[in-house]
Amino acid sequence: MSRKAISNARGPASGSTTSAALPGLSSDDMCPVCKTIRYLNKDMEFLIHPDCYHFMCSNCVNRIFNDGPNQCPYAGCHRTLRRKGFRSPFFGDLTVEREVDIRRRVAAVFNQHEEDFKTLRDYNNYLQMVEDLTFELVSGTEAQRRSAEAQLQHWEAEHKADIERNRKAGREADEASHRRIAAEREAARQRRIDAIKEAEEEKLERARTREAELDTLASAPEGQRAGGVQLKRRVQVNRAVEAAAAANTGSGVPGAGAQPPIITKLSIQGLKEKRKPPAPEGPYDPFGGMDFVPSRYKLHDGLVHPDVDKYRFDWAHATGGYSFDDYTARAMFEAFAGLGVFIEDEKEVGIGLSASEVAAMSAGIAAVGDKMELD
Amino acid sequence: MATEDARYRQSSQFRLWSFSPSKLASMRETTNALARASISERLLASNSLPTSNNPSAPTSALNTPEPDGATPTPTPTLPEFLTPAEEVMLVTLYTSELLRAGEHMGLTDEITSTAAALFRRFYVTNSIMTYPPKDMIVVSLFFGCKAEGSFPSVDQFVKSLHKKGPEEILAGEFLLCQSVRFALDVKHPFRALKGATMELRRYGDIEQSRIEEAERHARDILRFSPHMTDAYFHYTPSQIMLAALSLADRGLAERLIQATFHYVAPSASNDSDTSMANSDIGSKEARREAKAGEDKAAIIGSYVRDKVLGTIEACRDMLSKELPDRKDHWSSPAVVKVQFRPTVRKLAKCHDPDRWDLVALQRRRREQVMDKADSEDGDPEARTGTAAAAKATVDSDAAVFGGALEPRDTKRRKVLDDPFGGPL
Repeated sequence: MSRKAISNARGPASGSTTSAALPGLSSDDMCPVCKTIRYLNKDMEFLIHPDCYHFMCSNCVNRIFNDGPNQCPYAGCHRTLRRKGFRSPFFGDLTVEREVDIRRRVAAVFNQHEEDFKTLRDYNNYLQMVEDLTFELVSGTEAQRRSAEAQLQHWEAEHKADIERNRKAGREADEASHRRIAAEREAARQRRIDAIKEAEEEKLERARTREAELDTLASAPEGQRAGGVQLKRRVQVNRAVEAAAAANTGSGVPGAGAQPPIITKLSIQGLKEKRKPPAPEGPYDPFGGMDFVPSRYKLHDGLVHPDVDKYRFDWAHATGGYSFDDYTARAMFEAFAGLGVFIEDEKEVGIGLSASEVAAMSAGIAAVGDKMELD
Repeated sequence: MATEDARYRQSSQFRLWSFSPSKLASMRETTNALARASISERLLASNSLPTSNNPSAPTSALNTPEPDGATPTPTPTLPEFLTPAEEVMLVTLYTSELLRAGEHMGLTDEITSTAAALFRRFYVTNSIMTYPPKDMIVVSLFFGCKAEGSFPSVDQFVKSLHKKGPEEILAGEFLLCQSVRFALDVKHPFRALKGATMELRRYGDIEQSRIEEAERHARDILRFSPHMTDAYFHYTPSQIMLAALSLADRGLAERLIQATFHYVAPSASNDSDTSMANSDIGSKEARREAKAGEDKAAIIGSYVRDKVLGTIEACRDMLSKELPDRKDHWSSPAVVKVQFRPTVRKLAKCHDPDRWDLVALQRRRREQVMDKADSEDGDPEARTGTAAAAKATVDSDAAVFGGALEPRDTKRRKVLDDPFGGPL
């Protein structure tokens, strides 16, 4: 605490206290004027005046300055202070508080923008000059501080109109940016609300559809295809959506509302067809998918034929590994293979047509058949 | 579709050598017409030569006179050609001879039947006026042995048939092979008959003796009747087998068919009632069952049964025209003299002069190949005459193999597409 030093720092300009350390808000919470400690007054509040940055408790301020301007009670500080100028400090370190105040004041005077200068170099020089001035104000010697203060005031007086204009422009720009940011924030909020609402509606819709499907299934007659019902229902829902969309878009077209909307599948032309991925190939089937399970007969056990059975105990056959089961299977296959192949029908008109049709068409077919042979 | 039928449709017998009656008839007509055209052309060409003029000169008065007789020799006339019906009759006659020859040589039923089937197939696309049937019988028998997996020596074969040399058989071998379009697997009803009797035995309520009797009889029929008719072209082996079985013992054949096509579709109302009664969850099951029922009905349902019965009945009618007891009819000298001798004589007059001798034909072809190789070496002068003749034969060969049924280029293109499967 170097109160003496402070008392020396005395100037006509505001904020012209010394750069020497200002008293910090006292660690022991004692008002340096009335010596009251926090223990006695729990609501004790310290105030400062930006002229000299001497702090005292609010009681002292009220007591001393209630009857108009008075001298700072600090010893050696002869500033005349008014009660109106007292405020509670923002920073605990009053040096910082003072510097911030000074910088704020300088910035209010030197409020040029980069756009106001011809070159970047000029702007940088200007910034350098402002910083030098600020530094001199904050921590220069008495003489420096005084000259800087003079410069500042001189500049302020000279460029009053410019400063005022810049300040207004800056305020407008600030307001505009504030407005923009606020609008963006509002829009984002709105979007979020919409998304939530939509999700909820979808959930509701899904629940409704499911309910309807279950109802349909419950009331559907036996054997009806459940899958078909579901599909149909879903198609209906989709159609409803599409119809709504069509009504929205087509309302401007005259006569469009009169006729029922023709629901066509939305198609975008000119899009490249997506190539389908090749179906996964299974293991190689040498028989090309032919089925070897008999469908017309069953291979029962004990199918015997005397002509074959006599070889069963013939060493020449048994040793060679002759398979009697295979013979049986083959004989049974041959007995029933081609029973349903009707050559006359199939060779004339193709597989699967009935004989009556063939009879009806036979004359025409015969004529065609002759021609086919010739070419 | 029944899996058995699908498998049968893969066979060359179905794909290449099964025809409807009208198609077969029209094919025979086409073959006959083409043979007439090429043979008359060749006869006229050889008429200009003095040597070959003589045999055609003293033909009977029935011969049609040639419109513009350019040659000075006594009126060159074309012989009377066989009609398609006569050709079929002769093919059948020679088939009966083939069957007898097979029996004589002690060949198995399968071998003889394969030979007969190949023989008949050969004469669908080739006229009997073009290639000698008697030689083709031997070729077919020899080739039938090979196709059925038994490989006799040619010399043995020649000796047992009292032929001059192995060339006679070997000359026609590739010709036959080519003409049946390399479809050498002939499916027979013999094993099918065994399968059918196995199934009949399994039923258990039929006397063994009855089955054995029926099988023996049916086998006799199968050995003879299908080959003497066009059954192999029009019916599948199993149908032929059932027709033969039905000729032997009608009751057994019908029993087998009824037992096979036993599926009776449950009536619709009954079906829905039961499924309703079951539960809601059972609907899927019921649907699958219904689908399976439809499939089953398509394979072993009553509709198919009736159709199969109709087909077998038609086949039975066909076979009954040539029952084994008509063997004597075909071989008895009296009948042959009255019925077939005139046609055979006619054939002797109108046969193809170039093709009738298979051995000579084979030799000529070999020479052509040699000539071609030689002429490429560079002495065409020496063999101009033979080369010209050879060229003529090459063209006519083309007419028989390729152009017999369709223009050569088309044929070649189709052959390129599918060496065995193009249309006849």
